[in-house]
Amino acid sequence: MSEHIVSSFDGELNEISDGIITMGALVLEALKRVETTFKNNDHNLAQEIIDSDAQINDLGQSVENKVFNILASRQPMANDLRLVFSAVKMALYLERCGDMCKGISKRIVKGALNEAESEDTINHLINMSIKVHSNLALVLDDYGNKNCQNALKVWRSDSEIDSLYSGVLTEILNAIKSNPDAINTLVPLLFIARYLERVGDQATNIAEETHFIVTGEDLTDEEKIQIENETTF
Amino acid sequence: MVTEMDQNVNIDDVDTKMEKKSLIHCTDVNVFYDDKQALFNVDLNINEKEVTSLIGPSGCGKSTFIRCLNRMNDVIETCSFNGSIIINGQDIYDPEIDVVELRAKIGMVFQKPNPFPKSVFDNVAYGPKLHGRFLNKSDMNNKVEDSLIKAGLWDEIKDRLNEPGTALSGGQQQRLCIARAIAVDPEIILMDEPCSALDPIATARIEELIDELKVNYTIVIVTHSMQQAARVSQRTAFFHLGNLIEVGDTEKIFRSPDNEQTEAYVTGRYG
Ligand SMILES: Nc1ncnc2c1ncn2[C@@H]1O[C@H](COP(=O)(O)OP(=O)(O)OP(=O)(O)O)[C@@H](O)[C@H]1O
Ligand SMILES: [Mg+2]
Repeated sequence: MSEHIVSSFDGELNEISDGIITMGALVLEALKRVETTFKNNDHNLAQEIIDSDAQINDLGQSVENKVFNILASRQPMANDLRLVFSAVKMALYLERCGDMCKGISKRIVKGALNEAESEDTINHLINMSIKVHSNLALVLDDYGNKNCQNALKVWRSDSEIDSLYSGVLTEILNAIKSNPDAINTLVPLLFIARYLERVGDQATNIAEETHFIVTGEDLTDEEKIQIENETTF
Repeated sequence: MVTEMDQNVNIDDVDTKMEKKSLIHCTDVNVFYDDKQALFNVDLNINEKEVTSLIGPSGCGKSTFIRCLNRMNDVIETCSFNGSIIINGQDIYDPEIDVVELRAKIGMVFQKPNPFPKSVFDNVAYGPKLHGRFLNKSDMNNKVEDSLIKAGLWDEIKDRLNEPGTALSGGQQQRLCIARAIAVDPEIILMDEPCSALDPIATARIEELIDELKVNYTIVIVTHSMQQAARVSQRTAFFHLGNLIEVGDTEKIFRSPDNEQTEAYVTGRYG
């Protein structure tokens, strides 16, 4: 699409999408580090993840302010309006992702992984974080490339994350049943799994946003149901 | 007690978007000024009792098109028309048609308020008199009052009916022109950039008025303000270089138009 007659308008729109892209990069970085801490239980690294969340929140705030100003001064229309409107939601979803990574890291700093009963559970958490990272990276790529080619794919593959999650859940619950004394050390792992699953949900939200930005249409319920039918057995 | 909530209403069954009936059917409209063509094969239907906005860059033919609808182009000597415009089943370019009567049915409001150099009262009474209606004095008084009320002007100027129309503020003059158009009971009101000479408050008053008028009248408005089109109209038509490029629900045009030229124009990318 060609440029605006008022070139500063282009600059302002770019600042908004650049803000989202940077937020996305920071979230992906945090997720990668989460995966690393699963492997090495490095509490310093976990603390760094916690500390870096503020930067994600600040960026989110700054995107919101820019949206506010551009709505007041430019009254964007059509694809511009979709981009601006969606930026608010994107920022919110990414902030939540950051919060989840922070929540996971807090549990790790408190020692969630110290007495993990089973290697398997940790490995499954690692698998989950890899899958979540990959979905998020796909939809953020779309956003950066101004297309939505991965949106439906990510929407579809969220069910894989869900089933990884329920696998981990069952595993941990069984461990608790067989050793009720371990409940205090196992419950934090439940939370960690839950947080990862929620980051996965944000990836599907972002997929819906990119679809909306590009096509002007919401993913329809029919499309969603169709995907759910395809992927649920 | 049975509340609405208790009743088993299926939202999908409720017809929220009633199909509107189209009142004006334009087919293959071509307009020339001498041998220079200003409109090319325009096909456009305009729905009854809603607001249709015409948008597009300067010179694209909006005014030319809106003037076709009440044959105002007839007064431009160099202007020629071919195609068909059917309103209420009647071809308005039929040679049999009474153009004066037609223009009463289809009122027009222009960019610059143009009250006659007469009193406020006479401005409004002019049309009904011209068309030989309401010869009785009290009927005429009622007609003037009623038209000024409908134009949202009565309360402001009921004590100034004998002052010249030209002594009113620009926004009041524009509403006076709307009252003048309404006074002859038109079915359709055409407005060519009615707010372009007005401040934001006067503009808001006109927009509020358009909202009220659309209950009883079919309105076609030319506007250069995307936001105004988005605010006041239910359907929007985009013209470019004499062609109708896209027409659709206003919401759709401003949310995700089908045509790239439309999108470029509404987002301010048209160069
Ligand atoms: N009376 C006229 N004589 C000759 N050419 C005319 C006349 N009126 C309009 N035109 C030409 O017809 C084309 C369409 O003009 P028109 O006034 O319909 O455009 P418009 O969309 O209303 O523009 P604007 O937004 O500037 O009012 C233009 O090229 C214009 O120069
Ligand atoms: Mg014009």
